[in-house]
Amino acid sequence: MTGREIFISLINDQINEMNHTIDCLYTTSDACAKNRLLSRLRKNTASLSLLVQASCGREKEALPLQNQLRTFTPEELSKYNGRSGNPAYIAVDGTVYDVTGNAAWGGAAHFGLSAGNDLSGQFAPCHAGQPVLNKLKVVGKIAE
Amino acid sequence: MVADAKTEGLLFRGFEKMLRGRSPFDAVYFTQRICGICSTAHSVASSLALESALGIIAPQQGRYLRDIIHGCEFLQNHIRHFYQYTIPDFVKLPQGNPLYETVHNDFRLPKAKNDIIAQHYFDSLEISCSAHEMLAVLGGKAPHNHGVFIGGATSHATPEAISRMRSILQNIRQFICTKMVPDACTVAEYYKDYFEIGRGCGNLLSFGCFNDYERLGTLYVDPLVYSDGAVSGLDPSEITENIASSWYADSPATYTPFQAIAEPDIKKGGAYSWIKAPRYKGLPFEVGPLARMWLCGGYRNGISAMDRNLARVMEAKKVTEILLVLLNSLIPGFCSQEVYQIPQSALGAGMLDTTRGALGHWIKIDGGVIAFYQIITPSAWNLSTRSEDHLPGPGEAALIGTAVRDTDHPVELGRIIRSFDPCVSCATHIYSKGSLIRTVQVMP
Amino acid sequence: MNQENSSCSFLMKLETASMLFHRAAEAVRQKRIPKRNLIWLELTGCAGNIISLLDGANPDFKGLVLRLVNLLYENSLMAAEGGKAMEKLFSAANGDYILAVEGAVSTKDGGLYTVIGRWKGQPITAARAIQEFGPKASYVISVGTCASDGGVSAASPNPGECVGIQSLLERKVIKLPGCPCNPDWFLGTLAYTVLYGEPKLDGRQRPLLFYSTLIHDICPRRPYFDQGIFASKPGEKTCMFKLGCRGPVTRTDCPIRKWNNRVNWPIGDNSPCIGCAMFGFPDKMEPFIRYDVT
Repeated sequence: MTGREIFISLINDQINEMNHTIDCLYTTSDACAKNRLLSRLRKNTASLSLLVQASCGREKEALPLQNQLRTFTPEELSKYNGRSGNPAYIAVDGTVYDVTGNAAWGGAAHFGLSAGNDLSGQFAPCHAGQPVLNKLKVVGKIAE
Repeated sequence: MVADAKTEGLLFRGFEKMLRGRSPFDAVYFTQRICGICSTAHSVASSLALESALGIIAPQQGRYLRDIIHGCEFLQNHIRHFYQYTIPDFVKLPQGNPLYETVHNDFRLPKAKNDIIAQHYFDSLEISCSAHEMLAVLGGKAPHNHGVFIGGATSHATPEAISRMRSILQNIRQFICTKMVPDACTVAEYYKDYFEIGRGCGNLLSFGCFNDYERLGTLYVDPLVYSDGAVSGLDPSEITENIASSWYADSPATYTPFQAIAEPDIKKGGAYSWIKAPRYKGLPFEVGPLARMWLCGGYRNGISAMDRNLARVMEAKKVTEILLVLLNSLIPGFCSQEVYQIPQSALGAGMLDTTRGALGHWIKIDGGVIAFYQIITPSAWNLSTRSEDHLPGPGEAALIGTAVRDTDHPVELGRIIRSFDPCVSCATHIYSKGSLIRTVQVMP
Repeated sequence: MNQENSSCSFLMKLETASMLFHRAAEAVRQKRIPKRNLIWLELTGCAGNIISLLDGANPDFKGLVLRLVNLLYENSLMAAEGGKAMEKLFSAANGDYILAVEGAVSTKDGGLYTVIGRWKGQPITAARAIQEFGPKASYVISVGTCASDGGVSAASPNPGECVGIQSLLERKVIKLPGCPCNPDWFLGTLAYTVLYGEPKLDGRQRPLLFYSTLIHDICPRRPYFDQGIFASKPGEKTCMFKLGCRGPVTRTDCPIRKWNNRVNWPIGDNSPCIGCAMFGFPDKMEPFIRYDVT
């Protein structure tokens, strides 16, 4: 990815989070929860201003190309189970995502599911329509 | 006169089946959910079984932390059992409150003494609650604590924590010494006939309790049995479980703890309970505070319903002394935890005495997960069904031969069964002269 | 800190349960609202929730039975036994009552895996009890994860074929999951209900009063998570995300309310949250402890 692409991606992350937070604000009446959500919005705007400042100084710079998207067979994917030094990857609908360090993947497990697996079947019933995947880092795709 | 009695356990969830396939570490949390009033006991037994399987010896400081958490559970249980479960049998509580309405008339205490104890019923609520607060200082929360684990506990003692626990303990001890013990003696004084009934089988057993510390030695009781007038060492290989009268398929009907897990079968003819029949050398044995106090020589008055209640109260006092020793032995800041690894296959046993008596967890690990998990609870020992040779369990034996004064209100039965501190909803049938007179439910 | 001037939302939140309770008890004392009847059923479970209730501190159990409600039936604590106790249960159900249920309902073999008593010669199974007493109650509150969503009683392979009580009732159940349910959550919800009626519930029927924020969002160890400083084993003071902490997916206020008179809580005890108040507990929250995670 170029430097510009990285910035766009980071800005989009912030915007997605802010939209989600605003959705939550519409539905919560609890004062304490509201305060939490507003603090989170404040954090998002702070991050955005940092990004703006950073981009002003670096618009001419192009960062070197990151790793190309690689292809995973199911066997190769299974090694990325988040244990023993391996990152935690999951696949949904052909795309492989990195969930290492993702808050919902404590212990490299999420609601009884383990990293290193294709979770296309489990994803849709739980998360269809939710802005979950666009927050995850893409690291490859499943081999045809 | 009770001609025959059967104790029925009427609740089954199947923990032994549920545990199969799970991560061994998870058993420490999972098994706590077997029981809400003694959950700590299962976390300790599970940790001991895992230590046995993984070949880990917990450091002494870790043992102290864990045993303090466990000791707090003793206090909570005994105070609640005495005041909330036992006292309402003998002491009239304010009848204006629907919770305390009762119809039997066997209340023998003079009004002044009755009302003092009734007041203590309410005073005790805060005290038993504070026992759980003390537990949570090192255990994180109660019921279903988080602190107990392999190696001892996840928490560290800090000077503030030790101070707080000492202060709560002092308050609890004061209550036990100045109110609980005198109340127990008062009740015993007016209900002396309960020293003559509810004997049970007369055999007593303990897996050991607050024992075998490197520096402190044994603070309470070692693994011992009492039978035929003699005390001897416990031999774990003599423990079996029998399911002749329980709702489980008969293959095999008797087994050792590592040998088999019984499959439920509610349609089995002749069976009347979910509770199995643990046996030692083929005989029924009673477990619990009376067994422990007897085996360590602390209480030898007799074996009866009232002796059980008194021994439990005495034990509560003893546990406060033990906890003080353990608290004084703590070194602040010690972390007992390491990174533990699950072997591909292993087996281990965790056997200890807890609030109600002897508790055992037996685990087999295969393929890195739990392949087999056997649990024998103290209530199974005490409320055991009949084995193949028709020997009744201790609870059943305690009821048989009891003279019931008023068959419309057989108060003796509830009082006897509750003296065992049962941890299950249980029903007792009274048979007289071979015909079923009445089914009396006694819900502890 | 001057409490009156403080607009700290955390402190206010902590007082919700006790404030509601005292308000409700006072209203009962002044006869502005009736003293309602409460029936508490222990079904297929460990009875941990009644013990947890006994552990309440401001509000507490004594206040509940002396000032707020008439507790007509609770099998562990009531003085009556056997048939007389069952009589009380069935006659209580003829009038107005609020029903609190802990424990799931075992449905296998006609529910015979859990019998709570006998009435007129018939065993009263947990299933019969919920179907008999659930529909007529003015409110039904499921206390604990087993009653709310099946919990440990329904853990795979679910030998007793246990289900949460809502599965057997058409009418709405107010769910208070937790293993056990914190006494504040129950007493606060009950007090709110007798004062104002049903509290605002989220999409899983849990009162927003107590179940709105994720533990992760109010965890004191969150700075460690944000900085990537993780514990490699329980017993450490840093973030336990790698060990399998379920704080990021669990919605309760444990970090601030804590347990047992606010003395401590699981993460404060250097052990990860196991998501005990989640609908997927325990199967979907396992493994609880895992080492060697990247």
